[in-house]
Amino acid sequence: MQLFNLEAVSIITTFKVNIKIMGKHHLGEFEEIVMLTVAILHGEAYGVAIIEEMETRLNRSVSIGSLQTVLKRLETKGYLESEMGEATKMRGGKRKRYFKVTNLGKEVLRQSKDQRLGLWDAIPDLA
Amino acid sequence: MSPDNDVRPSALFLRLFRWFCDPDIVEGLEGDLLERFEIRLHKKGQRKAKWLFIKDVAQLFRPGLIRFFKESQKRNSLGMYKNYFKTARRNLLKQKMYSSVKIGGFALGIAACLLIALYIKDELSYDQHYENNDRFYRIAQTVYYGNEFKMAWMPAPTAQALLADYPEVEMVGRITPTVIGGGNNQLRKAESPQNSNEDNFIYADPTILELFETPMLMGDHSALQEANTIVLSKSKADKFFPGENPIGQLMILNENASNPLKVTGVMDQPIHRSHFQYDFLVSLTAVEFYNGEQGNWGANNYPTYIRLSEKASPEALEAKLHEMATKYVLPLQQARGNVNAQEFVDKMKYELQPVADIHLYPEGISDPFEHGNIKFVWLFGAIAGLILLIAVVNFINLSTAKSTNRAMEVGLRKAIGSQKHDLIIQFLIESVMFSILSFVLGVLLTSLLLPYFNIMADKTLVLPLSEWWFVPGLALASLLIGTMAGIYPAFYLSSFKPIQVLKGSVSLGAKKSGLRGVLVVFQFTTSVALIIATLVVSRQMNYIMNTEIGFDKEQVVTLSGTNTLGDRVPALKNALLQLPGVENVTVSSYLPVAGTYRNGNLFWKDGRTQMDQGLGAEIWRVDYDYVSTLGIKLLEGRDFSTEMATDSSAIVVNQQMIKELGITDPIGKKITNSSDNSQVWTIVGVIENFHYESLKGEIEGLGIVLGNSNRTMSVKVNTDEIATVMASINDTWDKVAPEQPIAYDFLDERFARMYDDVSRTGNIFTSFAIFAVFVACLGLFALSVFMVEQRNKEISIRLVLGASMNHVLRSLGFNFLKPVLIALFIAMPIAWYVMRDWLNEFQYKTTLSWDIFAIAAITAIGIAVLTVSYQSLKAAVMKPVNGLRNE
Repeated sequence: MQLFNLEAVSIITTFKVNIKIMGKHHLGEFEEIVMLTVAILHGEAYGVAIIEEMETRLNRSVSIGSLQTVLKRLETKGYLESEMGEATKMRGGKRKRYFKVTNLGKEVLRQSKDQRLGLWDAIPDLA
Repeated sequence: MSPDNDVRPSALFLRLFRWFCDPDIVEGLEGDLLERFEIRLHKKGQRKAKWLFIKDVAQLFRPGLIRFFKESQKRNSLGMYKNYFKTARRNLLKQKMYSSVKIGGFALGIAACLLIALYIKDELSYDQHYENNDRFYRIAQTVYYGNEFKMAWMPAPTAQALLADYPEVEMVGRITPTVIGGGNNQLRKAESPQNSNEDNFIYADPTILELFETPMLMGDHSALQEANTIVLSKSKADKFFPGENPIGQLMILNENASNPLKVTGVMDQPIHRSHFQYDFLVSLTAVEFYNGEQGNWGANNYPTYIRLSEKASPEALEAKLHEMATKYVLPLQQARGNVNAQEFVDKMKYELQPVADIHLYPEGISDPFEHGNIKFVWLFGAIAGLILLIAVVNFINLSTAKSTNRAMEVGLRKAIGSQKHDLIIQFLIESVMFSILSFVLGVLLTSLLLPYFNIMADKTLVLPLSEWWFVPGLALASLLIGTMAGIYPAFYLSSFKPIQVLKGSVSLGAKKSGLRGVLVVFQFTTSVALIIATLVVSRQMNYIMNTEIGFDKEQVVTLSGTNTLGDRVPALKNALLQLPGVENVTVSSYLPVAGTYRNGNLFWKDGRTQMDQGLGAEIWRVDYDYVSTLGIKLLEGRDFSTEMATDSSAIVVNQQMIKELGITDPIGKKITNSSDNSQVWTIVGVIENFHYESLKGEIEGLGIVLGNSNRTMSVKVNTDEIATVMASINDTWDKVAPEQPIAYDFLDERFARMYDDVSRTGNIFTSFAIFAVFVACLGLFALSVFMVEQRNKEISIRLVLGASMNHVLRSLGFNFLKPVLIALFIAMPIAWYVMRDWLNEFQYKTTLSWDIFAIAAITAIGIAVLTVSYQSLKAAVMKPVNGLRNE
């Protein structure tokens, strides 16, 4: 008995593919700070660590929710990547998700920095 | 690390988080949450850490992180929804029988429910519309005349006393029927001699129009201020003054030409329901029915309405009302020489009843209005709910029963990626679609049935299509019920395992028939209970119509309005007696049916007026032929006789009167109905108790005396050719009274009309029982189709192995009968209990005998057998090969 034809299946799967078209490389202020913090932590960047780092360095309190949204967005854009760490006894036995800045991410950060510097340089000398 | 492992964050919120969070990221996030909690526990203490944990979870509840959003955002479901509608439509058309049973049954249920809802809404709407409803009351009193009498009838001066003595009373108004105790009136335009026979008259205080906020077409609320004025309803104004301006016209009531009534107002058709519905309001200004009547605290003839001032408390006023009895009634009783005056007054009670409650909560207060019954409103509401429930149950039943056919579809859809909740949505959409279809059909059906229902229930209901809430309300209900009805099938069907279904190894439904059986039991319970209720009500109606009521109501023609003939009454009587076929004629306004004269009095044994509390009993004025014309049975003594000159002070009493007065050997004993002994009656005869009021109440004491009361003439006929006799009676009337149309009626019909409410109840029960049985049968029928389909292979094998048709029929039949039998056992005690309660409203009633239950049982079983036999037979005679060819 033929159950279903493959054509039908493939049509349905195309709905599931999620094509994101990259726009201009542009970082929001918070996004930039998050990426920089991830870069600072260098391999040790997971949720709580990022928050603590931002709190100590910038004296800025961040909720898990808002951080998570941004991390997710940056990952979708391809600026960050993540992998799960080993399980430990702490954290209720849950694994950490470590974030790393991708090459694309580094490029965007650098661009952003260059833009800022260019702007700073363009300011006529303030006496 | 944690110093204190026992402290944990809120488990509830943790679970909530796990539930809503996107599964891809849940693990890392949960770890973060817990780690933060531990850090905070360390730094900030328990309470703060716990609180901040909850805050963290709440902040995680955002679109990017919630799992549900993720999926629906990614997929374009529009195509699927289109597909759901298409599949639903195809399913509907593919199985026409099934679909029509499903939708038709539901539509019937909805129609029944709508009808009842309209009925209930109408009953509840009485007297709810007055602007000052919260301070609009009527006064009722309880008086002891041997027995307790609770009534809205008040002494004429009560209104003035209330207004003068109680500052919280803002406005009072009284009404009184033009003919106390009822009856017709003759009305004509002043310039025309032609009388018209009208009822629905009332005398009213000028304030009544304002109190009841009567909508006026012409004139205003002061229309009744002047004496001798009359206000007409629109229909009556059109009838008497077609194309003329009625204002200022003169009318003559009951040939009282010396006091013509001036028309000063026309009432608009009432928009709202009210217990107070009259066609003619005659002003009470300067009216006195007899000398001293308006100041008489001893006669109770006026229902009295009160509007309280804004701040007044009805409870506080009620508590003070008894002063009225002491101030006015006590002196009167003492003046009459009642030694028990103080006791009499002490026992009197006054109460205020909100006008809004009058229709549905009569509370035993005797008044001249028709009432509804709050119990019936509840009962019908329950029935409507039950019928709707049955229909919904059917709907569910049929949807799951069809699952065999849908199982493949479910398996396939799952195999190509449908999630469980997609399927749930699919089946819910299907169910809502059917529900909307059913609602549309149901409303159509209601509008078709409404005229018949109106006749049956004596109502003027309309579908409130133009009301803003009606269509959206129905739409909402159809969505809601569609969803409710669809939930079970949706979850049931969507839970099939694709592999099993596609392999064909799931035997659907058979295991689940237990639940379906329960649903059928439930349906038949309702149906059987309604059948029993119908039978009991019709038995009671039968009982009322055929019981020995103590007088002969058959073949008696009553001619009303004879009072306006004056001196010509004896001539008419004699002329009628000459007619062939007329056996006897009597003239008396008092008849043993509702709506004729009544005259409540106090009776004592002669010489004991000062010692005894009076007995409340009726005294009727009749002529010599009363007892014989009405076929009342004389037990002792004699009837009135023209040969006995002393009969002007003779009285014939019923058994109850003797019993309550405690008289033994009554003939020749003397009794009186006047506290000053001015009128003493000698008992000359005792008649058998006869029912002169509704069978709901006890027969009370009655004495008949000779007197002139000529409102009605009753003619006893002794032939089967009623038409011929009626024609000759008509001719005779026209010869004697050409200016007045004859108004006749038959005593047995007037008697039957007293029980219109009972027969209405019976009719309503009958039709609802039919509804319920029909809907339940549809359910059973569909179930039988399903069962036969399920057991197709089994039956085929049985047939192959040589089972006879009988055998198959029996094995199928019993399966269906079992739930019906169980239903019988549940329904009978319930019906017995409820109907016993209903019958207790009647003093005279039929018994709840076993055969009622037997008939109901046989009917239910018979209907069930008929319903399933078609499918069973079809199964039993089929070719086994058809059932087995796929193996």
